[in-house]
Amino acid sequence: MILLCSGQKNPRNFDAMILFATQLSQRGHRVAIDADFAPENLDRHQKYEVIPYLSASDALEFDHVCIIGAEAISSDVQILLRKFAHDADLPVTALGTFKSHHNAISAQNSLAYVLGREPRVIDLAQTHKRPLLEAPIAPLCALDLGQSETDEKDNLAKVLLYLPADALEDPQILPTLGMMDQMPGFDLNIVIAGEGKDRIRQSKFAHLSVFGYAEMSPLTLARMFDIAVFFGANIPGERMALLALCMMQSGKVVIDCTSGASFLATGAPALHGPEDMEGLNAFLQHSVLINRSEIGQVMAQNKWLEDFSIETIERQLDLTADTKPDVDATPKTVFFPTNGSGLGHAQRCAVVGEQMQIKPTFAAFPSCVDMLRGRGFACLPLIQRTDAHLEQYANDMVNYTRLRRLLGRGDTLVFDGGYVFDSAYRLIAELGLNGIWIRRGLWQKGQINPHALERETVFSKVIVPREAFDELNTTYSFGAHLHDVGPIVNTEKLDHDEIASLRLRLAAQMDVEFDQLIVTMLGGGVASDRAAQMQLLCNMAERRENCLHLIIAWPNAVIAPGLYGWKNTRVIQTQKAQAIAQAADLTISAVGYNSFHETLYNQIPTIFMPQAADYLDDQERRARAASERDLAATVLGTELMQLEREVTAFLDEGKADMIRTALAEIDLPELGNTSAARLIEGSAP
Amino acid sequence: MTNSRPRIAYILDPRFPGGTSSAVAAELRAIHDMGRITIHAISSKMFKGQDLSPPLAEATAELGLNVIWDAPEIAADTVIVHNPSFLRFQDTLECRILARHLILVTHENFLRPGEVEGFDVAKCLDLFDQSSLALRKSLAPISSWNRETLTKWARMHPQTRDWDVLEDDWFNICDFEIKAPTQTPRDRRGRHSRPGFEKFPGLEQMDLCFPPHAERNVILGADSYLSEGLTREGWQMHAFRSIDVSDYFDMIDFMIYFTAPTWRESFGRVLAEGIAAGKLVISDAQTAKIFDGAVLSATPAEVDGLVAGFIADPQSYTDHVTRAQEALAQFSPDAFRAFYAATIAQDYSEAA
Repeated sequence: MILLCSGQKNPRNFDAMILFATQLSQRGHRVAIDADFAPENLDRHQKYEVIPYLSASDALEFDHVCIIGAEAISSDVQILLRKFAHDADLPVTALGTFKSHHNAISAQNSLAYVLGREPRVIDLAQTHKRPLLEAPIAPLCALDLGQSETDEKDNLAKVLLYLPADALEDPQILPTLGMMDQMPGFDLNIVIAGEGKDRIRQSKFAHLSVFGYAEMSPLTLARMFDIAVFFGANIPGERMALLALCMMQSGKVVIDCTSGASFLATGAPALHGPEDMEGLNAFLQHSVLINRSEIGQVMAQNKWLEDFSIETIERQLDLTADTKPDVDATPKTVFFPTNGSGLGHAQRCAVVGEQMQIKPTFAAFPSCVDMLRGRGFACLPLIQRTDAHLEQYANDMVNYTRLRRLLGRGDTLVFDGGYVFDSAYRLIAELGLNGIWIRRGLWQKGQINPHALERETVFSKVIVPREAFDELNTTYSFGAHLHDVGPIVNTEKLDHDEIASLRLRLAAQMDVEFDQLIVTMLGGGVASDRAAQMQLLCNMAERRENCLHLIIAWPNAVIAPGLYGWKNTRVIQTQKAQAIAQAADLTISAVGYNSFHETLYNQIPTIFMPQAADYLDDQERRARAASERDLAATVLGTELMQLEREVTAFLDEGKADMIRTALAEIDLPELGNTSAARLIEGSAP
Repeated sequence: MTNSRPRIAYILDPRFPGGTSSAVAAELRAIHDMGRITIHAISSKMFKGQDLSPPLAEATAELGLNVIWDAPEIAADTVIVHNPSFLRFQDTLECRILARHLILVTHENFLRPGEVEGFDVAKCLDLFDQSSLALRKSLAPISSWNRETLTKWARMHPQTRDWDVLEDDWFNICDFEIKAPTQTPRDRRGRHSRPGFEKFPGLEQMDLCFPPHAERNVILGADSYLSEGLTREGWQMHAFRSIDVSDYFDMIDFMIYFTAPTWRESFGRVLAEGIAAGKLVISDAQTAKIFDGAVLSATPAEVDGLVAGFIADPQSYTDHVTRAQEALAQFSPDAFRAFYAATIAQDYSEAA
């Protein structure tokens, strides 16, 4: 284990430590970044990027200390480095780009004084004789990351175009990019510094795919893209320099459109592109795309890159590259369902997982763990977000580290949720995972925006489980990577005898003789408060002879104490809600994707009461699609008298039987459970 | 006074803080009547502004010597450069030097322990080589240890063999006020120095030198410990110049002075200061050697035993400090005048 430190404690040096750690890690070296060097106010992206490496030095066993940026060592860093004085056998190596012999001597002296022994000092100016940047803090090496993963997005060349933030001052830039985004032959993505990303997001070109300057590791970007294009006055910092080096070495194309041909001026193997962005489209179409792989091969063989070989740094640091394959090399599939207010995503994933040839692993939030393990899946518990966390993504960073330990290159990560967490997004991009997004539709109006879809780019497949009724199916994005499948539904239908037996068991367990069974499944009140509606239902059940009213909640749900005071009402917490609902004469249910489709496919007479929250799908549209076909009733949360009338109609006026008959007669689409499983396994046609 | 006295030009960056400036100030006071003295200040890149260090400002004012800044040409019979390492940060010396004898007084060791170069010596010597025309060029070490580093460095860099090394040390004048030692020494320990990291050994050694069972441990110049938030039972830590040195000496009976093992004092003026203040001074063997027995040699692990021995035998304490103070005479202004006269006279007679 090599522990990285730096000559200065500031954001720039810390970023350089991250870049160097990433490069060493890419080569298989175990590397940590000393947490004492973390500056305050790291941004969210830096936190995700550093967290796999960050560690307190006294919590680690390391055998080598490496100090980068040794050309300027501050006194506060000297104080920090005193902690390595006691271990005389611990090798310390300092890397710096020294302007003079005296600069190197000063670095050696500064370290020798605090360590009480001599460090090894390496002058990167001697290693990189023709540097891409004048004095980078991190050693920047040209790593061969291999070609981009081929995906199903029309096999387009993926172009990453760098723009300085001030480029947006030119009013022609965004329209030109907007036009290029519509051109065939390549998939345009932008990386922009400063506030540029926010400005684009606020413009009418918000649909453009944009990365912030430090949003993703340069190595990840280099892996994701086929062509990098650089605009601006010069080589834009260490991150972009490293990106360019790795792309060149990986046989990809780097196009230098900087005003001073900054890359070419160093001797770097780049193509000289037009400084004027309006010429870029033609240049790409007619000069680059037709010869892309040949250009890349020639670039990768350029002798200039030899100066940036990481083997040189490895030799200087006495490191041996670990090229051994992972012991656990069998590719695995991990499902990562989010949970909004219930278990819907996890249950849907479980339905698909059960159809797979090899049982997948799950990574899920605590409320889902028992259910998943109960269904026979291995499950890594994740951390749920709470308001107690200092940052709203604090839990996701922990989840990111847990999943990072679980996953490796070649694995498949199946994400089911609306908003793609940083953890899922980064893991797929950084580890080169096969990312699959199960994304149900029926978004609310405000949810259909570029933010919701911008992370789609990392997924090789998007599986859309269809709604049962056609008018509910809307397409939000396009491409060969999109796969519609039939509704994904858990259909463990009980026969007549099983239902009769279940009703008898319920009567015995609840110690209530009943002729009528009402089941209420209105959630735990997280998305919509249903206290009044449930009290009304309890009251109605109380006035009925031989009636049992079961309020079913998930095992982790919070139950209002007032529900326990009714004689004919029982609250039960179970994962078997659907089986009990099948035994009911009437079900009152929220209208999540799973409940709705299980109700339809299991032919359960139901009053739907849609829930409403910003993060939910459009439950009312879904409910009305069924009630307009006389397959259910729809009652809004505010319609208490209507609820009373519908309950009476269902139980006393034959509406339940009518609906049960209608449900038995309707043709519903073929289920997508198996198709989704085959798509994930890669064996779908 | 006649014009037949030798012309002696001093070249230095007079903004140096600390011991070097004090040594040069004492030297000027000692020899000001031994030649026609001019003081040339060089604005090296090492410092900013033109403020003379306080001891030099005081001495030049007292002696009526003008400080000439950045003269394009300096000509004298003898040109004495104090601490040539002040050129370490620059690539040129914008000055022509004409002399019968050019002497570089090497206040900084050329090598650190372990024979690691202490600064870019060759560059500094080259700059003087390129800028000077002299019949003789000498390096003047300031102590036996400083001499050792010069000769070892010269062996490693044979291209600089046209510089000779003066036979006698160009020592620091130590004319501190002598205070009698206490008759009743107690276990009151201390050390003082600039706060530089090189001046301090590792914490393990510091703990051995200044243990919690000592009656008092005073660390003056503990700036880095203070900024780190270090806590140690029984230590009184003071920032550099935060208390008067005489007050600090009043607090202690034993001065325990170790440096980073990767660095060593070239003269150790601070130790002479401790002896003059009537304290028993303990340091590492090489540093102690400069003072010919006036400073006791020990390892940090041996310090406790030494201190206990002297407390048990106060007479031996008093005897040792008294002898040490007598030994400081070898660094007196008179001793320096004798050395200086011999060196300069040699140049002058050779010139004649």
